[in-house]
Amino acid sequence: MTASSTKRESFDVRILRQAAPGEPSRWETFRIPYEPNLNVISVLQKIAAMARNAEGKETTPVAWDCNCLEEVCGACTMVINGRVRQSCSALVDRLLEEHEGEIELQPMTKFPVVRDLVVDRSRMFRALEKVKAWVPVDDYYDRGAGPRESQESQEERYPLSECMTCGCCVDACPQYSKVEVERRPNESIEEHQARQAEAEKSEFLGAAPISQAMLFNRHATGAMLADDRLNALSGPGGIQVCGNAQNCVAVCPKEIPLTTSIARAGRQTTVHAIKKIFDR
Amino acid sequence: MAGTEPSFFVRHEFLIRRLHSLTGIIFGGYVCVHLFVNASIVGGAQAFQKNVLAIHSMGGILPLVEWVFIFLPILFHMFVGIGITVGMIPNNKNYPYEANWRYTLQRATGLYLFLFILWHVFQTHGWFHFDWWLNVAERWGGAQFSPYNAASSIGLIMQNMLVSLLYALGVLAAAFHLFNGVWTAGITWGIWTRPHAQANALKVCLAASVLLGAVGLSAIWGARKIGSSEESIKQAEAIENEMYTVQVEAGLIPPTEHKRAHHADSDETPELTATPASDENPTHPSDED
Ligand code: SF4
Ligand code: SF4
Ligand code: FES
Repeated sequence: MTASSTKRESFDVRILRQAAPGEPSRWETFRIPYEPNLNVISVLQKIAAMARNAEGKETTPVAWDCNCLEEVCGACTMVINGRVRQSCSALVDRLLEEHEGEIELQPMTKFPVVRDLVVDRSRMFRALEKVKAWVPVDDYYDRGAGPRESQESQEERYPLSECMTCGCCVDACPQYSKVEVERRPNESIEEHQARQAEAEKSEFLGAAPISQAMLFNRHATGAMLADDRLNALSGPGGIQVCGNAQNCVAVCPKEIPLTTSIARAGRQTTVHAIKKIFDR
Repeated sequence: MAGTEPSFFVRHEFLIRRLHSLTGIIFGGYVCVHLFVNASIVGGAQAFQKNVLAIHSMGGILPLVEWVFIFLPILFHMFVGIGITVGMIPNNKNYPYEANWRYTLQRATGLYLFLFILWHVFQTHGWFHFDWWLNVAERWGGAQFSPYNAASSIGLIMQNMLVSLLYALGVLAAAFHLFNGVWTAGITWGIWTRPHAQANALKVCLAASVLLGAVGLSAIWGARKIGSSEESIKQAEAIENEMYTVQVEAGLIPPTEHKRAHHADSDETPELTATPASDENPTHPSDED
C-alpha cells in the first residue's frame, strides 16, 4: 500500500440518491472507515449496514444492483467519479488516487432510474431485439452439421461475443440521449414498458447492438438474417446517428473493438443501400 | 400500436446523413481549390488575378459549376449539419479522450463555419447579384470583392485586423473540419475499419489539415501584404486593370463592369469605369473626407 493510504482513517462517498422514478434526486455523503483493498460494492455494503450519513443522521439504505462480482454481468454498472464503469471491479484505493478523499457515485445517466443507483437498462435489450442479435435456430430438429467456421472468423467474433450489455458504451456516447416515459397511475408494468418502447423506437441503438449485429452477420448461420439486421441498422436510430466520438470503445470494460464494428456496419449498410436501389 | 410517425428527418436519416457526408466531401474539394488559388496571391497581384480570370473564363457554365459543386452541397451540408449538432450531448469533462475532443471540435468548427461562410460570402459577393440588392449589400459592408480587381479588393478587405483574424479562424476551422470530416467519412462509408487503419488514416488527415490551414493562412498574409499600403493597392489595381483590358480585347472574357472595383475618389480607373461615383453613397453627412 502507498504511504498516503496507510495514514488515511476514513474517506467520504457522495451518492446521488433518488427514491423512485420521477422523484427529485439529491446528494448524500457517507463517511467510511478506511481499510485497504475495498471495492465500491463492499463500500455500498458498509453503507447499508450503517444506514447513517456523514452527519450521523439516520437514512434509508442506498439501493444498488450486482450479480457476478467479477465484471461479467454488467448489473453493477454506475457512474463512478464521473466515468461509467462496473462498481464490483472499481477499487477504492485506485479511486482515491483519482480523486483525493472522496468517491462520487451516480446512477447511469442514459437510463431511467429505478431507485438510487439502480437503473432500468431494458432499452439495451430491446435494441438487441431490433437488430435480431441471435442465430436463427429455434427448433429441435436435427439439421445435421452447420456450416464450417474458419479459425479466423472465430477469432474475430470471440471478442465481440464478450459483450455483457452493461451499457457503458451508450452512457458515455454523446449521441445517445436518455428516454424516460413516466408510469401513469393505475398503468400496468406491461403497458408502461410498451409506451417506453414506443418512445425509444427511433432513438439511437448505441454501439453495443451495432457490434452485436456485426457479430451475428459474421456467423455463417447468423448471416441468414443479415439483411434484416442491415435494414434495422440503416433505419431510424441506426448506424447513421453515430458521430464517431469513439467514447464507446474507450470505456468498454471488455475492450470490444466497437469502432471497428461501427465501421464494418457502415460498410455493410453502404453496400446494402446500393443493392436496394438496384433491386427495386 | 397507436404510435406517432417519426419525423421526415428520422425516417430518412440514413440517406440524409450519407448525403451530408457526400456533400461535405464535394464542397471540401472546392475549398481546397479555393484556398490554393487564394494562396497564389503570395506571388503577387498578377499571379492571383491570372487564376481568377481563368476561373471566370468559364463564362456561361460558371454558374452551373458553382451551383452543383459549391452552393447546393454547402447549403445542404450546413443546414443538415445544424440539425445534427442540435442533438449532441458533449461530455468532454468526464471523458476527456482525444477522439471525443475532435468530436466536439468538429461540431464547434461546424457552427463557426456556418456563420463564417454566410458572412464571408456576403462580404465578398453580397449573396445575390440583383443590382438593387447589391446597392443595399454594399451599404452594409457586403459585395466588397471584385473578381477583376481581385488582389487589390481583397487587400482592402484584409486591411482590417479583426476581419483578418476572423478569416484566419475560418481558414483553420475549415481545414480541421474538412479533414477530420474525411476521417469520419472513412468510418461512415466503411473505408477504414480496423483500429490501426483508422489511426493511420487519422495521421494522414491531420497532416492534410495542417497543410491546408497553412495554405489558407498564407493567402490571408498575402492579401494583407497587398493591402498594407495605398501604394501597393494602387500598383495591384493598375496591373489588374491592364490584364482586364487585354483579356476583354482578346475576347477571353466578356466585359463585366460589376466584377470590377469602382471608387468615387479613385484617379486610377476613370476611363474604364462606366458608372463613376454612382455607387458611393452620399447620404452620410458624417463621412469625413
Ligand atoms: S459493448 Fe462493452 S460497454 Fe457496451 S454493453 Fe457491451 S460490454 Fe458494455
Ligand atoms: S463512436 Fe458512435 S457510438 Fe461510439 S461513442 Fe461515439 S457516437 Fe457513440
Ligand atoms: S456485479 Fe457483474 S459486473 Fe459487477
